[in-house]
Amino acid sequence: MLHTFALFAPPNFIDNLLLKFFSADTVNYVVWPFIQIGAVVTAVAVYALYATYAERKISAFMQARLGPMRVGPWGLLQPFADALKLLTKEDLTPDKADIYTFKFAPYISVAAAFIVFAVIPFGPDWGVITDVNIGLLFVLSISSVGVLALILAGWSSNSKYALMGALRSSAQMVSYEVSMGLSIIGALMFARTLSLSGIVSAQQSDAVWFMFYQPLGLLTFLVSGIAENNRAPFDLPEAESELVAGFHTEYSGMRWSLFFMAEYAAMVVVSAIATTLYLGGWYFPFVYRFTEAQGHHALYVIISLIVFLAKLTFLLYLYFWLRWTLPRFRYDQLMDIGWKWLIPTALVNIVLTAIAIFTVQAVDGWNGLKTIEAMSPSLNLTGTGKAIMIGFGIIGIFITAGVLSTINRRARDFNLKRQRRNIRLVNLRKGKPAVAPPATNE
Amino acid sequence: MVLNGWEAVFFWVFSVAALVAGLLTIMARNAVHSALFLISSLVSVAALFILLGAEFIAGVQILVYVGGVMVLFLFVIMLVNVGAEERGREPIFNHTAQVTAAVIFGLLLAGGLVYALNQGYKGMQASDRDKIAAITDRREAEQQNMPSAATGTFRITKDTERVGGSLYRYASLPFEIASVLLLVAIIGSVMLARTVKQEASADDVDPEVLKEAIAAEPELAKLESANE
Repeated sequence: MLHTFALFAPPNFIDNLLLKFFSADTVNYVVWPFIQIGAVVTAVAVYALYATYAERKISAFMQARLGPMRVGPWGLLQPFADALKLLTKEDLTPDKADIYTFKFAPYISVAAAFIVFAVIPFGPDWGVITDVNIGLLFVLSISSVGVLALILAGWSSNSKYALMGALRSSAQMVSYEVSMGLSIIGALMFARTLSLSGIVSAQQSDAVWFMFYQPLGLLTFLVSGIAENNRAPFDLPEAESELVAGFHTEYSGMRWSLFFMAEYAAMVVVSAIATTLYLGGWYFPFVYRFTEAQGHHALYVIISLIVFLAKLTFLLYLYFWLRWTLPRFRYDQLMDIGWKWLIPTALVNIVLTAIAIFTVQAVDGWNGLKTIEAMSPSLNLTGTGKAIMIGFGIIGIFITAGVLSTINRRARDFNLKRQRRNIRLVNLRKGKPAVAPPATNE
Repeated sequence: MVLNGWEAVFFWVFSVAALVAGLLTIMARNAVHSALFLISSLVSVAALFILLGAEFIAGVQILVYVGGVMVLFLFVIMLVNVGAEERGREPIFNHTAQVTAAVIFGLLLAGGLVYALNQGYKGMQASDRDKIAAITDRREAEQQNMPSAATGTFRITKDTERVGGSLYRYASLPFEIASVLLLVAIIGSVMLARTVKQEASADDVDPEVLKEAIAAEPELAKLESANE
């Protein structure tokens, strides 16, 4: 057994080789990070390439077709054929486009999608490129830069469809960024750190994935993540039936495919963050006990990497599944979901999580109950504490559903305009008080 | 921040980039280009924050300014027609009085900055060296207690926690006042934007109020008839 697994120890071999040429500091701070960056960029690019293939296959199976079958066995080489086609296509620039902005926008898009991978922990030990103390904030801020690329692409194309797509996407992404940022706070209350590796090790030391404590947080994060990526059913910025292709209407060849790649990379980013925050990242029960604890370190790292990839792929499959199942939202529905449902859900989730943590702290030590094992570095709960927390998570779904349906009871009434007419927003200076809407609705 | 080695290189690169981008912000003819240069300037300043060890501020700077404020800026610039300035071929610095005032205030600001820096440096030198050494030692000891990052090459600091703690514990009243101020600004802008005329054109106003408004301003009657 052990000798077989020695195969999985190339890092040590490379490390020894590198130490012959460089000093230890250079190897640790410069050479290894560069090797890791190269590996991750290549892997993500290939992964994105095959995500397009997977999407076509999945959509085909859902519609009782076969999908790409001609290039290679089962069409496996189709993505490479597509990439080659796009590379050799002519790179068109519209006549009155703002040339520099037009040419630069795809690069911003790709850079914003790829930089985020620097902080994502793919596995323990050498599965991490870097681990910064503002990890999650870094991810959110860099992905918020991605919207700039869409706006600039739409504006600089000098085309009305592209501009409409850009305006839609900026309104959409600014709205959904809020709920995305708010939805992660619940999970952070347990992890007590923004470092992504810290979040994973918090779940490892607790032996619970945060999705059990935070079902609402996961739901809110995933929905706003899909909206952030402009994926169906939230793909209004590139709604084919209305806007030709939205913000990238005027792009062709490699620049268009850069946008395409950025879209898939951004999907991978959101799935990776959701995996790290809610699905335990690279942590899986019993893996540590059977590998690392028995001395198989390299095997531990490799299995953790595979676990991470499996979780990531599952979430990515969810994207495709939703895309080929749900129809596109109308614009007003999109804004309704963002502002009237998702943001209140995230806020209610924060309050409920705070109440749950306070309850667990208050119960600790009452009648000999023990709920908390440690508060530092992360919140560690005993079995009782976990049960209470999971109970709160499940009850929280019903509480939130009740709160939200109360808030939004009238949101979809047909005679909304009539109600609004009776509330005076202007001319209050005449001394007429604002009148409440009538209780009866026709 | 210690200005030597690679840190000095990064400092000079980012500070020069911030200054040049700031200059280009006011010199670009196209409003969108101005916004882009402003974004570059903000990103460079965020990088300088990282060099100062204030990662949280840097992250928030990008999140709020680049990802939020500047996106809204671009949104507005695209909706508003700003063609007049772009088409003109006249020199940019064409108002002598403005340029003179800007130069004078800029020089005053620079002078003030140099004076403040000198005073601060003198004060730092005058204060007890032992005290500074003690603080440095304590910081280093704290650093040793912090959890190590997953790569093992540096430590995860508690800056974010500290910012949050002081913001919500010791500065909660100013924080709440600031948020109320923002709320007032939002409501105020809605009130300013929603005039009777606009509401009438969207057929979204109480008929009684509209009658009174028409009595004051007969123009509105046309909008009303257009709706029917």
